[in-house]
Amino acid sequence: MGRVLALGILGTLACAQVIAGQATGSITGVVTTTAKGAPPIRVTIDQNVCGTELPDEAIVVDAQGHLANSVISVVGLTSSVPRDPVITNERCRFGPRVQLMRPKSSVRTTSRDPILHTTQAQEASGRSIFNVALPMPGLNIARPIGAAGVVRLSCNTHPWMRGWMIVTDEAAAVSGADGRFTIDTVPPGTYEARVWHESLKGAPQKITVVAGKPTEINFSLK
Amino acid sequence: MNALLLALALGAQLQQPTTIPEMWGAWCARCHAQDGTGKIKEPTVTVEPMDFTDCKLATSEADADWERAIAKGGPGVGLSPQMPGFEDSLTPEQIRGFVSYMHGFCKEKGWPRGNANFPRPIITEKAFPEDEFLILPAISHEKEVEFVGLYEQRLGKRSMFEIAVPLVSAPGSPRYNGLGDLELSFKHTIVAGQSASGAPHIVAAGVEARMPNGNFEKGAGEGSLIFEPFISAGTMLGNFYLQTQFKVEFPTNREHAERAVLYNAYIGRDTSLSPQTWTIGAEFNGENHEYAITPQVRKGLTGTGALAAAVGATIPINERQERGVRWVGYLLWEYLEPWRARR
Repeated sequence: MGRVLALGILGTLACAQVIAGQATGSITGVVTTTAKGAPPIRVTIDQNVCGTELPDEAIVVDAQGHLANSVISVVGLTSSVPRDPVITNERCRFGPRVQLMRPKSSVRTTSRDPILHTTQAQEASGRSIFNVALPMPGLNIARPIGAAGVVRLSCNTHPWMRGWMIVTDEAAAVSGADGRFTIDTVPPGTYEARVWHESLKGAPQKITVVAGKPTEINFSLK
Repeated sequence: MNALLLALALGAQLQQPTTIPEMWGAWCARCHAQDGTGKIKEPTVTVEPMDFTDCKLATSEADADWERAIAKGGPGVGLSPQMPGFEDSLTPEQIRGFVSYMHGFCKEKGWPRGNANFPRPIITEKAFPEDEFLILPAISHEKEVEFVGLYEQRLGKRSMFEIAVPLVSAPGSPRYNGLGDLELSFKHTIVAGQSASGAPHIVAAGVEARMPNGNFEKGAGEGSLIFEPFISAGTMLGNFYLQTQFKVEFPTNREHAERAVLYNAYIGRDTSLSPQTWTIGAEFNGENHEYAITPQVRKGLTGTGALAAAVGATIPINERQERGVRWVGYLLWEYLEPWRARR
């Protein structure tokens, strides 16, 4: 009797997984641009840690025009994918350059450099949300961020350092070095997909997601 | 393996600073300069930092405010958010060490420390010399309304002069509106320091001269030139501010004005460490044999606290029928302080 019950439960769980898998689709695609990246930044401060030159990451694009660090989001579709953002000051750059976090949650900042960094977070209006000093490596400092929006990160001792937090509850993804992105677990339906980039712009697009397979959408930014 | 060796070599080259002067050099000097002037060849911030070698600037605020600025960053004291907070990376002892180190940039002796710069009571005159502009309104139970415009300016390290211009609206038929008696005042800090227990203390002496320009017949003047020597003193008892003032009025025309002895004492405390804190207090005010108490509240109105307001009521303890309640207050502007921060 017990064996029958166990088999029944396992069978139900398996069916539920199949149904759940079939009930959603995904959005995938590539972000491209014809814009070119800027020349490297000449470093004159803390060269023993930062080096003499750093890449300008305002536009990170490969030879085929694949654009990294773009954020694609699905308007009105809330995502439950966990987001645990960490801002790492390393070799005088913020890593990652662009990341997602949820409204009314915390972001952690840390440093791996043996020099003074600061992590200042500002709203689009310029209002400062926080500014913490990281004078030694290994510190871990958490700070809350409230409302949804775009948060700009900067370092007061290394003016070229820039990072971005996209604060949203919507289903979203950041494009990788190859320009590709994937947003999983999207229920079937028609949506508007938007793209954000720190220095380029692209038009939103309508997309119809069907269950059980990825739906392709590509963005071209100028 | 090579990367590991490189990392070890880099680590050996960049040993973390351990003493306050080393930390200042490695961290703070990036914006505030090695010599504390805030003048940097290649600045990485857009706001010019304060010049800590400017003794007036570096000594006029309490250590607690400087500690808060280091711990919370600029916004903790209403200043630029480009100054980051160090509360997660430094101990309270280290933060106090930085404040002490920063005070060392002022090379001149004799400037009274801001620890004795207590919040101004409404009636008791504080001992610390200030650069302030005030408007002090007062409304008596007989509907006499007075607005005193007060300008105070520091002279050198320890002195201050003051000009008071009162506008009086005295009851009567018809009501009299006009200028009251002008006052000129000079004050000098005699003693300023810190007791063995760490409590700051300050004593100042001065003299006021009240001019007989107001209309005596209409109740808008004393009708006599009056000299008013005074002593003001202040200290702290735990978290409470204690401030006192003793003053004697010597009129030159005894037919119009009487000699009077005035004694005021204030006790109060802040409700938080923020420059925008509420300060709750009360004064005991005496003039000859007339006594009163003045409960009052004060609040910093801007992030830096450079603009502040207070309101209170002077309630007579004796002869209550004749004297009645007098509503008093002030609006204060520390005109050398920034009243809001730049980004």
